[in-house]
Amino acid sequence: MKITSKSFLFISFLIVGLNGCNKDEKTVSPPVPGNEFLTSVRVTATNTTDPTDVQVAIITDTTFIANPPNSINHDTLNLKANSVYTATVEFLDETKNPPGQVTDDIYARRNYHLICFDISSGLNLTVARTDLDTNNPPLQIGLQDRITTGAVSKGTLNVQLRHQPNAKNGDCAPGSTDADVTYTINIY
Amino acid sequence: MTIAGKRSFSQCTLRISGVVYGQDTTERLAGATITIKGSTHAVITDSAGHFVMDSLCTGLYEFSTSSIGFVSTKIEIQLLYDTSISLQLSKDASQLTAVEVTAEKKQDISTNAKSELKGIQLFQTTGETLSGSLQSIPGLNAIQTGPTISKPVIHGLHSNRILILNNGVRQEGQQWGTEHAPEIDPFIANRVTIIKGAASVRYGSDAISGVILVEPSVLAPTNALGGELNLVAGTNGQMGAASGLLQGTIKNLGGINWRVQGSLKKAGNFKTPYYYLGNTGFQEADFSLTANYNNKKGNFGIDAYYSEYHNKLGIFAGSHVGNVADLDSAFARPKPITPSYFTYDINRTYQVVTHDLLKLNGYYIFKNSGRLEVQFSNQKNKRDEYDIDIPYSTDPDVLNMPQISFQIQTQELDLVYHLPVRNNFSGLVGITGYTQGNVFRGIRYLVPNFRNYNGGAFWIERYSKNKLTLEAGLRFDYRWLRVYQINNTSLETYHTTSTYQNPSGTVGASYRVNNKLSFSANIGSAFRAPSVNELYINGIHLSAASYEKGDSTLKSERSYDFTVSGRYEVERFFAELVVYDNIIDNFIYAKPALTPITLISGTYPLFNYTQANAAIKGFDAEINFKITMKLTYDGKASIVRGWNKSIDDWLIFMPADRYINTLRYDFGKWGLTTNWYVNVGLLTVLKQTRTPPNSDYVPPPPGYNLINANTGFQFPIRKTTANIELACTNLANTVYRDYLNRYRYYADDLGRDIVLRFKLNF
Repeated sequence: MKITSKSFLFISFLIVGLNGCNKDEKTVSPPVPGNEFLTSVRVTATNTTDPTDVQVAIITDTTFIANPPNSINHDTLNLKANSVYTATVEFLDETKNPPGQVTDDIYARRNYHLICFDISSGLNLTVARTDLDTNNPPLQIGLQDRITTGAVSKGTLNVQLRHQPNAKNGDCAPGSTDADVTYTINIY
Repeated sequence: MTIAGKRSFSQCTLRISGVVYGQDTTERLAGATITIKGSTHAVITDSAGHFVMDSLCTGLYEFSTSSIGFVSTKIEIQLLYDTSISLQLSKDASQLTAVEVTAEKKQDISTNAKSELKGIQLFQTTGETLSGSLQSIPGLNAIQTGPTISKPVIHGLHSNRILILNNGVRQEGQQWGTEHAPEIDPFIANRVTIIKGAASVRYGSDAISGVILVEPSVLAPTNALGGELNLVAGTNGQMGAASGLLQGTIKNLGGINWRVQGSLKKAGNFKTPYYYLGNTGFQEADFSLTANYNNKKGNFGIDAYYSEYHNKLGIFAGSHVGNVADLDSAFARPKPITPSYFTYDINRTYQVVTHDLLKLNGYYIFKNSGRLEVQFSNQKNKRDEYDIDIPYSTDPDVLNMPQISFQIQTQELDLVYHLPVRNNFSGLVGITGYTQGNVFRGIRYLVPNFRNYNGGAFWIERYSKNKLTLEAGLRFDYRWLRVYQINNTSLETYHTTSTYQNPSGTVGASYRVNNKLSFSANIGSAFRAPSVNELYINGIHLSAASYEKGDSTLKSERSYDFTVSGRYEVERFFAELVVYDNIIDNFIYAKPALTPITLISGTYPLFNYTQANAAIKGFDAEINFKITMKLTYDGKASIVRGWNKSIDDWLIFMPADRYINTLRYDFGKWGLTTNWYVNVGLLTVLKQTRTPPNSDYVPPPPGYNLINANTGFQFPIRKTTANIELACTNLANTVYRDYLNRYRYYADDLGRDIVLRFKLNF
């Protein structure tokens, strides 16, 4: 009798166990709302002596964009020789319409981020970061910059967003790369 | 209490064997008498202190051991399986006899090569990960992601290609990932058995190159409350571990045996010889509960087991790379760029993993002595992975979310019937079924949701007569897999269904030439349906800085494993050799594509999952020689060669040649302490020179030599004995990197570690 009741208990355990398997997997969670994909990097350069001379270059990763427009990339920046430009670097989420501003999130975490510039040899150009974070002592960020051009030349400008949580020290080396794009620069 | 000795022995096949020691394990007692109460069974130990009793039935026995000059002792053993006991007699009636009982559950395929870890050897690994504890076994390696994530490798293969049975249940988690370690508390194990070779016939899919069985001790009736306490402390990572166990029998409920077990582990940042590895600590808390009941006749029993595993572990800060340029510069640096220090704090990146397991099983032995076993299990594995950066978002809920979250739940029902032994034939038949549901949530897409249903049926038959055993087995498996995905534009869910059917088989023979020499040969086949990551992954593998693409048309892998092993054992010399050739058709691997893929975060090498025919061959060897009665030499070698036959090149990430040479000195008794030993060992790992071109970012690291040493003894505490060991790994604080450790790109391997272990049975 004891055994029978135990077997009964055992079988009911089985039934409960098997019925317990719900079908959660049929609900596929959509991409998390509120999360932003970093899809595009845009550089905007404004001539300090001529506010109407605004040059824009943008590079977009179309991997996440369902139907990317054809002419999404303008990767060339045309700059006047021997001039000074104020520049901004922006990071966008173009999976959304209108595009989401990832730049704001990066600025909010500016103590963990650094924008690094690499200029190809022969290109007469310098880039200086003009904004500072709230580290002690403050370190540069690079979302706001000053571009100074020299003589007529052509080359490339590589822009990297370095992510440096608990490791930022002003150098580009620590941390990892969140964005890495290369623009063509034409100084005329 | 009914003693089973009164039953007829004619149909019973269980064996109890053991060794009787004097006051120290260097003193083996010849001529000791072992008798069973209520029966005429009696044996006398041979010159090496060994004894064997055959033809015993299941049930409760009372054994008496006596030897002139020693106190006679009585022990009760619940026999369910073949059992080995080690008895240490004492001359003083006030001191308790030390007894170690291990149930030798006979492997269902007996001609496979296998190794075991139990008793003192298992004690010498306490505090390590499951995979770390198996490193002393020839043919085994570990694939590591830093000091805390370690996965066992058998004959060159790991993850989905080996099977881990956690207390008799197939461990099911996200085992496809090389940084997803087995979710098992090693402290539950009383014995770990490694089956080397393809063993799908008994265990189902995934046993391509071996099976690891993690088994607690058999829970048997006791008169008093008993237990075990383990304490471990290590200098590297300031690691501490404590594990305790209590067990007893509730007599007035008809004899329900129970056990409660729990473990706590914690470590902070680990250290290489010259610097700390930032964010490499972990915290783990596990427990298990067991209860069982066996009827007095010994022909019916049920068992319930529940366990939980909780782990939080940090991922080395220096291992986070955005793209290949980051990885190249990390490798070029002599040490990580951001210096670290000791702390127990765990920051992002980290993993939180939980694993719950419920197992219910029962057996019934029929009048014809056939044995029916039923087992149901339900396991839930949850894995949350938090990236180094909080998501780009201002929504507080999103900020606290893991970037990746998997939950997989598995229910399994097994029915196995062990046929009665007739005319030297024995065998078993079984059917098994399981279903899994996988739910993925995350910010980064990795693998899709799925549901699968699996069914299998097998039959294994064995013929044993005198010195010869022959066996053969057949199995058929069916898998139905439905994958659920979402269209990111329309947000509609769609699904894809595939089915896989796989026959598998085994034939084997073993021949015992005499008491000293025996041979075994086994041809086993195994299969593995492609895992869901191999079918559907599409994204950046963050810690590997690679972009991986799955292929939904992949077929099942199939292996044909030929293993021959020989064993020679005399009193002062022991040698074992295992030679294998594992031919794997449709071997799935990530093949480097010629063109890289460019994303906003940089350029990544692209790897496409594809199939090829491969072969893995090699051998494991061990020699043990007692130079004097107190000084012993032990040598082990593990050699593996993996070859991709389709492209005529080496397989990547195969273990390098590995040798362990150890000298052991037994001091014996010293004052109150007994069984003093000192081991000094040299671990030699050669450089892996056999790698395919263009499939790795950096060349394999040079070979290395590590000196390891340990010493330990037993001493009496009240009426019981305690074990103590002091061990030191990497004694010379050698700087090295291991080919199978993925952190070799970023940092050196661990420096010196001094570990103190304590174990008390009461």
